[in-house]
Order: sequence, then structure tokens, then C-alpha cells
Amino acid sequence: MNQFLRDLSPTHQVAALFVLVFGVLAIVSTVTFLISLRERRNALHSDAWQRELKDFQQLLSTTWFMVVVFWIGWALGEGVATLLFALISFLALREFITLSPTRRGDHHSLILAFFVVLPIQFILVATARFDLFTVFIPVYVFLAIPVVSALSNDPKQFLERNAKLQWGITVCVYGMSHVPALLLLSFPGYEGKSAFLVFFLVFVVQTCMVVQHLIARRFAYSALDAGPKMWRWLQRAPFAPNVSQSFNWVSWAVGMAIASVVGALMSFITPFGYGQALAMSLIACVAGSMGHFVMKALKRDRGIPNWGPKGMGVTGANGLLDRVDALCFAAPVFFHSVRWYFGV
Amino acid sequence: MLAKLTGWMLLGVVRLLTGAQARWYGCPPKAEQRIYFANHQSHADLVMIWAALPEELRTITRPIAARDYWGNTPLKRWITTEVFNAVYVERGGAPVVPLSTPSTPRTSQPHAVPTLIPSERIEPSMDPIQPFMIQVPPPAPAAFAVKAVQLPLISSAAIEPAPSASDANATPAPDTADPLAPLIEALTSGDSIIIFPEGTRGYTGEPQKFKSGLFTLAQMFPDVVLVPAWIDNIQRVMPKGEVVPVPILCSVTFGAPIRLEEGEERRPFLDRARDAVVALRNV
Repeated sequence: MNQFLRDLSPTHQVAALFVLVFGVLAIVSTVTFLISLRERRNALHSDAWQRELKDFQQLLSTTWFMVVVFWIGWALGEGVATLLFALISFLALREFITLSPTRRGDHHSLILAFFVVLPIQFILVATARFDLFTVFIPVYVFLAIPVVSALSNDPKQFLERNAKLQWGITVCVYGMSHVPALLLLSFPGYEGKSAFLVFFLVFVVQTCMVVQHLIARRFAYSALDAGPKMWRWLQRAPFAPNVSQSFNWVSWAVGMAIASVVGALMSFITPFGYGQALAMSLIACVAGSMGHFVMKALKRDRGIPNWGPKGMGVTGANGLLDRVDALCFAAPVFFHSVRWYFGV
Repeated sequence: MLAKLTGWMLLGVVRLLTGAQARWYGCPPKAEQRIYFANHQSHADLVMIWAALPEELRTITRPIAARDYWGNTPLKRWITTEVFNAVYVERGGAPVVPLSTPSTPRTSQPHAVPTLIPSERIEPSMDPIQPFMIQVPPPAPAAFAVKAVQLPLISSAAIEPAPSASDANATPAPDTADPLAPLIEALTSGDSIIIFPEGTRGYTGEPQKFKSGLFTLAQMFPDVVLVPAWIDNIQRVMPKGEVVPVPILCSVTFGAPIRLEEGEERRPFLDRARDAVVALRNV
């Protein structure tokens, strides 16, 4: 089996990967659908369980959507994939800016950010100008944004406003642009298989986030709950309750460990060796989960539990940023670690 | 055909830029005759609420467009009439009669005196029939009579007072001509309308006091459902004086309908309507 897969051409290998992912998704969806059918006829479980099922179904449909989008992006080539990530970056930045108050004086800077910086950054990625695309935002845009802001003659909260905008650009545009950039890294003997690298990154980071989330939720801290020793060990008070009600080091460490092992097991689709894959996924997961945590602090400051509350907030934000923020932080760190280590 | 295509394209652009989310809180989207009244922060308000309505309602709902902005170039005029199917109103027509209450926070109404005569006209292409006042089914004859007298006075209503009544290409209109006339005609023909009773676009988040047009329409059409709406964030997309919009998520929240109570005075009703709009900001 393994030998058979290795003998396939890179294109076929990627296609096989998608077949596998679609297959798993189809099985999970079918099972969920059957369960929900049974539940609808005679409800066996409590309301909370029903709600969780609904949440899960929503997560599932998001996953379907993302996988289909990835598939289309891959099938149509790197250019389209880059365009796709540009669109995601655009939507994420839109959400970020919506929730960080701007003033009238920021209008030109916003135009610059959305319609100049974002396209240029992704064009630089698409044309594989790695030396320029890594410095374009930190060096050139860093100066350009405050200049444009200052020119609109509004000094009020100047540093704060500009910092917000810079941050939004760095996270949503700069961070996100490193994901398609992975497609263009050329490892010797790994040509045409860079899609695996993107898949590897996304999968590992998502695994880490999901595991962490599930543990924190399943073993939500409660003082009187007695259970098996293992359970009590997992039940920890949130480490920084003002920022996140679910974050604690134990569930974080478990998430890291599981995701890194998953990453190591997937090393056969990457140019890395076993240990290297473990280290790389650990780096990506630490960056991603910490980034997600940082974004939580940002949201708390704005008084919102999610970028898009379930009932749809007055801003109409729909929570895309919630899904991609870990990736935004993980991608640059991962990209530069890989480039530095392998010298590509 | 072209209009439809443009409509779709515009809808796509608006959705990409703002999301154009509609949030129905107090009432479902339903094809009954309605007057939507909303806060006014930007010229794009009209586009926003148009885009937020579901397709079926969009075709029977006519937004109100100020002629001096939406009618000043052929392209805008074409979009406004063909795509939005809007009702043109003149701004700065009849004077805003303060009516003892300290009505608007703005102190200067620069156009006050010279336009005492109703100089404004309605778009000829849009309403070929003149004697629309007669068509209005008077629900309560007595009230109607009183109002008919008042109309020329309290008229300027839903319409923004512009610094000057520049286009005084007035066709010789009888006394009945008032800025509300196009709205009345649209309502009489069974369409829903969208109005911005503040008149001017606000600069702060706080809506200004409502002008009396809403009250007049509520009196004339007691069967039409009055739906408050809060348009969030649109002023950030395109602040006054800017041309290029930036992508920021916006939403339109529709609240529970209000109605004019028996014998309710003008000012209390307008304040209540304004409160209903403001209350939607935080749901």
C-alpha cells in the first residue's frame, strides 16, 4: 500500500489525499445525519446534548466548505489558491477592522490597507518574490500607513488608531499570505507536492485547536466534581480567566502533544523526517494556539466573546477570524522556520 | 435587463464590502405594506437597506432618494430610478417649521425664509398624474382635513434640508404640492417605502430628532405597518465627503412595528419612533 502510494505521481498523491479527506468527511457526516434523524424521532438526550450536536453539525459544514474550497484551489492551480487565500485575508481583515473602531481620519489608510497593501502582498506571493514579500509589510507599509493617517490631519489617538490598523494588516494580510507562500517553496525532490505542506500546516494547527477546545470544554472546571483521577487532573481552573475561560496549561499541553504526534505521523507527506515533522508541528502549534489566545485578549477588550456571536452581532461579523486566527499566527512562524532550517 | 444585471452586480459589491446583513428582530420579513424608517448616517444608507432586504421585498419596497445627491448625474439618476426603483424627493423645499419645540440640534436652517412658497417639484417622469391628493383614501375624514391644512407647514419631513433650494424649476403647482407628495403617491399605489426621518445625516452615532413627515404618513396611512430599522456602521464605510468605500461589516436591524396611537401628539410620537430606532442599536 505504502509503496503503491509512493509510486504515484505527486498529482495523484495529492488527489488521493483529497479522496481520503472527503471519504472521512462523508462517513462522519452520514453518521451525524443518522444520529440526528434518530434524535428527531425520539429524543434520547438532553437539551445540552442536542445543542452540542447542532454545534458539531455546524462545525462539520464549515469543514466541508473549507475542504471543498481547498480542493478547488488546488485543482485550479497555485494562482487560484493564492487568490483564495487573498479573499480569506480580505474577509478576515474586514472583520478585524469592523470591531476596532476607526475614525474618519482613518479612511484613506483603510483604503490603502484594503485596496493597495493586500493585493500587492498577494501578488508578491504569487510571483514568488520571497525576499520582498517578507519585508513589504513590516518595512514599507509600516511607514506608509501612519504617513497617510497623519496626512488626513487628525491627531486624536493617533498611535492607538495606527497600531490597530498595523496589527490588523500584520495578522490578517501578512500572516495569511504565508500560507499560499508555502505552495511556492521548492524543496529538492519535493516538487509539485507543496500542497501537502499547506495541508500539513492547516491540519496540524486545526487538530491542536480542536483538541484543546474539546478538553477544556469536556473537563470544564468545577470545584465539586469528583471523578476518576485522570479527570480531576484534567480539570484545571482557567489560567487567565479575564482573557479566556477555557485556557489552561494542562489542556494546552495535551493539545500540543497530540497535534505534534499527529504531525509526526504525517511526516510521510512532508519533506521532513519524523523528528523534524514533530518539531515543525510543535512550532506551528505553539504559535497558532498562542496567537489564538492573544486574539482572545483582543476580543475581550472589545467586549465580544467571539468575533461572531452565534446570534449574529450588530456588526454582522460571522466569525471567520475565529477560525483562521491561529493559522494567521502559525503560518509565518512555520514558513520562516522551514526556510531557515532547510535553507530553501 | 441591464438594470437587473447592474442590480446583481451592485448587490455583490455591497455584500463583499459590508456583508449587508439583515437582522429581523421585531418582525419577520413579510410582504405587507410597510414604512421602514431608519437612522441616516451616510448616502449609502439607501443602498445598504436595499441590499439587506430579501429579494421578494426589494422589488416592492421603494427607498427615498434625495434628488440633489442621487439625481445629479445621469448615471446616478439611472441607478436610482431603474435599479433601486427609488422615489425622488427634493430637499430643502418647504421650510422646516420649528413648531415651538426646539426641534433640531442644528441651529442654522439657512434656507428658512426665502422658500416659504412651495417651490419644489416632483420628478415629472415618475409621477405623471398630478391630482394625487384626491386619490388618497382618507381613513378618518376629520383628521385628514386638519392635516391637509397642516401639510404645507410641517411638510419638509423625511427630507433633508439642503442649504439651498437650488432647483426651483417649479412647475406651477397648486398648494397641494409638498415634498411628501411622491411618498404619498408611492404608498397609495401599494408599495412599501424606506424613509430617513432624521432629515440630515448625523455625524455622531446619535440620531437627531425626527422630522414630522413620518407622523404625517402614519396619520394618512394607518394600515401601513411602521417598522423601525437601525443601520449599523455604514458611516464608517463611506464617511461624508469620501468617494471610495472601505470594507467594513454593516448590518440592518429591523425592530418591532410601532403604530400611531389614538390621539397621539406629533412630538411624542416622533420621539417614540426615534427611541424605537435607537433601541435596536443594542439588540
